[in-house]
Amino acid sequence: MKILFSEIKKLVPDLKADVSKVGNFLTMAGFMMESLEEVRYLGKKDWLMGLEVRHNRPDCLSVLGIAREVAAKWNKPLVLPEFRIKQKIGRAKNISVKNGRFVKRIIAYRVTHVENGPSPEWLRNFLALYGMNSKSLLVDLSNFVMIVTGYPSHLLDERKLEGDLVWDLNDKFSRITTLDGTEIKLKKKNEIILRDNKKILALAGLVGGKKAEIDEKTETIIAEMAVYDSGAVHKNASSLKIITEAGNRLSKHLDPNGLPLAINWLLALILEQAGSDQSQVEVFNYYPKKENAPKIIFNPEKSKKFAGIPISVSENQKILLSLGFKIRPIKNSGNWRIEPPIGRLDIQQEEDLIEEVIRFKGFEKIPFNEIPKLTVTKDITPKIVRLVDSARESLKTLGLDEILSCALVSKEANRQMACIEGEPVLTLNSVNEEFPELRVSLAPGLLNQLKEWRKKNLKFCRFFEIGKIFCKVKGKYLEHNSLALLWGDDEEKFSLNEMRKLTEKMLRSLGLSNLVYSPSSNKPQIANPTVCFDISVDDRPIGVLYKLLPEENRPAVYLSEINLNQVLRSLSHGTNEAVYEFKEKLVTLDVNRKLKKTESIHRLINNIVRKIGKKHLWNLEVKDAFPLKDGIKYTISVSYRELSDQKAKDLHAKVFGL
Amino acid sequence: MEYSQLIVKLEKDLKKVTEESAREKIWRQYFGREGVIKKALSGLGALPQEKRKERAIEIQKFQREAQTLLDEKEKELKKTAFKENLASERESLDFEAPKIGHLHPLTETIKLINDFFREQGYSIMEGPEIETDEYCLQRLNVPIDHPARDMQDTIYIEEPNVLLRTQTSSIEARILESFKPPFKTAFPGKAYRNEKVNRSNHFMFHQYQGVVVLPEVSLKDLFGTFSALFQRLYGPSVKVRYRNKYYPEVEPGVGPDMQCFNCRGKGCRLCKGVGWIEMGGAGIIHPNVLKMAGIDRNKWMGFAFGLGLDRWAMAKYKITDIRTLMGGNLGYKYYENENSL
Repeated sequence: MKILFSEIKKLVPDLKADVSKVGNFLTMAGFMMESLEEVRYLGKKDWLMGLEVRHNRPDCLSVLGIAREVAAKWNKPLVLPEFRIKQKIGRAKNISVKNGRFVKRIIAYRVTHVENGPSPEWLRNFLALYGMNSKSLLVDLSNFVMIVTGYPSHLLDERKLEGDLVWDLNDKFSRITTLDGTEIKLKKKNEIILRDNKKILALAGLVGGKKAEIDEKTETIIAEMAVYDSGAVHKNASSLKIITEAGNRLSKHLDPNGLPLAINWLLALILEQAGSDQSQVEVFNYYPKKENAPKIIFNPEKSKKFAGIPISVSENQKILLSLGFKIRPIKNSGNWRIEPPIGRLDIQQEEDLIEEVIRFKGFEKIPFNEIPKLTVTKDITPKIVRLVDSARESLKTLGLDEILSCALVSKEANRQMACIEGEPVLTLNSVNEEFPELRVSLAPGLLNQLKEWRKKNLKFCRFFEIGKIFCKVKGKYLEHNSLALLWGDDEEKFSLNEMRKLTEKMLRSLGLSNLVYSPSSNKPQIANPTVCFDISVDDRPIGVLYKLLPEENRPAVYLSEINLNQVLRSLSHGTNEAVYEFKEKLVTLDVNRKLKKTESIHRLINNIVRKIGKKHLWNLEVKDAFPLKDGIKYTISVSYRELSDQKAKDLHAKVFGL
Repeated sequence: MEYSQLIVKLEKDLKKVTEESAREKIWRQYFGREGVIKKALSGLGALPQEKRKERAIEIQKFQREAQTLLDEKEKELKKTAFKENLASERESLDFEAPKIGHLHPLTETIKLINDFFREQGYSIMEGPEIETDEYCLQRLNVPIDHPARDMQDTIYIEEPNVLLRTQTSSIEARILESFKPPFKTAFPGKAYRNEKVNRSNHFMFHQYQGVVVLPEVSLKDLFGTFSALFQRLYGPSVKVRYRNKYYPEVEPGVGPDMQCFNCRGKGCRLCKGVGWIEMGGAGIIHPNVLKMAGIDRNKWMGFAFGLGLDRWAMAKYKITDIRTLMGGNLGYKYYENENSL
């Protein structure tokens, strides 16, 4: 929002602070001065301040709103111009609201005997500073009042109306031509419009139409100013892709109670600059549900609690009064009942008032050089966070470089590299149509990195990524932390077994043992089907290890991808018995077991562990695997603890059915 | 031969010995069953009484001296053998060290900040990237029709409810709902917005956020935390300021700025002439946010903060194109003599 410094001084004539001080104050109070430009206005040196006005303060998208802040800061009176309207004001006929669902308040004036023409130099110069071209006197006055008060208005040439002027929701017009000649296709979906009996005249709150445009021959105008449901204006602006100064203001919560001041300012200016002695004025006022300012209970002791510095009760009072809040102390409670001034719809509860007090006390008064002594709290860090950190450190130590890649990938990439069950997740409006899906594997990112690095002759193509991968299973969106390693380095002799060792070193450093490799049941299409293995722990699949299909001018590339959430589940099965006091010697006994080739030794081991129980099992080891014609003979060695020789033998016999 | 001559002979013989087996052979010549001493002792009985004692003393003396010489030789041989053994075990270092990998610049940045917050007793959290509108916006006091939504062009999966999170504040909403206060948490994360990708903007970016809920907190606590973090990141001489700034999820809201390190506050292209660089957003958690999470605002207070990570990492690692961080263009520099110690 641009604000001319002299306009602030016009409203706060006693202000002595210079533009730098005012700018600093506004910056610290929530309106960052993003630019300050020296300009000339009315033949004098002036300053154009560029202020950031956030969504909560539409009242400050105006000179008046900012002047109120400045006046309060320096405790100076805000002086508004006096409007002297000589004309007797009658009631306007032929203006109505058919569907007022999204209309909060309308004030419209019908003014006759006006003379439109070019604007005076001061007005043209003023608008030019705000980046607006002069159109005509009446239109320029409308824009001037919007800049000064924050309320947009719309002027219609009564001569061009066919029948009544009506506020309605659009259900029959499919397009509108705006004042600048742009044709907008309408969606007939809660569009608030101004129409007459035959045609659409404006998209209310957003943009005026060409058909009732003011021109040089205009003699009678209808000047309307309204406040609508901000959400409806916002939705219409978004869906029709209309960005206007009016839409910017009316899509925020403007106070309907501020409307009379603004429209009267406009009316006074129109009569003064374009009216005549013959001008007659009629008014239409629509305000079906008056919005009253809330009454907020405020405890002035709370400001200092929030700020962390002393703020006296009298300081609270002084600040709130200077901002125009009405204060009524509540007997014997120490609390006040506060009523915000017009325009301050952002003030709805006690915390809003606390912010006002601290804002004017000054954020810069709060010290920031002390590290707070906050209460000690329980560590609730999820285990997966620690696991991811450990995995990263482990892979770094193993000589791999970390990369990060985009989560959006092509459908083809997902199809080729998927090694998980479930459908890919499709986005509705991806930034790039070529990459509409969320990745089901980290492989696309790693392969992209490999391609780029080889283009640049980088020799260490050994890297990893840890990130989320996504899928949809039975209508539910799932995501988990995945870890993928790639080795595509032609400087070194490498093999699947080396890749296994590398992956295993990392997994073992995380605390996993009992890793089992079996031919993959879910081979990615990019994998060599003969060199693709599933990695499991205790029958729980945790990842996949494979060699990529060969490609010309590329070394052999190996890739492994691990589901870290599954790793975490596997780790949580183990118990951490860090130390144990021996009271008996260990008893180690062997047994032979023959299994068919299709039977899993891991399942057998799990059964043995379960049967022996944690109390007496110290160690279990498969010492030998001897291939037979119809199976494999395993020699299993079990070490028992806390048992005598005989009792260990008895348990051993029982477990193995000896 | 006299015993004194025998000693001289023994000395002479032992000098030639270089192996233990040879020493043992000599020992047997003197101390074995058929050895000199045994023979001499057995011959004592044949001597007259008066010479027997004298002879016995001579034999004992010889025995002691011979044993000493043989023991010394044994020690000498062991010493020599140990030395030879050590020499045979000699191993050399080949001076080859394995390559140490690198973490991504963003990970290094996150680690630095995580470490800071861990030292302050914070828990490090995470949360889902596919989110609902409720957790990403509504629970953070941004209702459906709120104009602040314009700031966050969303990538939808199912419009309007399922989306890619536009901010890591969604994790804040989940923490507030899931954990009973008191807690102090911090969390890095990716966020997504439907923005055109160019040198300085990316649809996927990284934020670092924190949320603290305790019986009592203040803006002073928040500023102190932020300042300590900035000092950790930028050094002790960093200049910061805290100004009021609106964010729907906090009240009062705060905009922390750092004095531009390029122009030291004078104004330059980097800081767009302002002299300060915006570092993120913060504030006391809005009572509506606490209420939606079922936290009693009369018992608990909290502060929340968030900052962007990508620009920080880019500045630190002198990366000029944000796409480098998430594309294939990120290379790691190795020392030329990395393969030697």
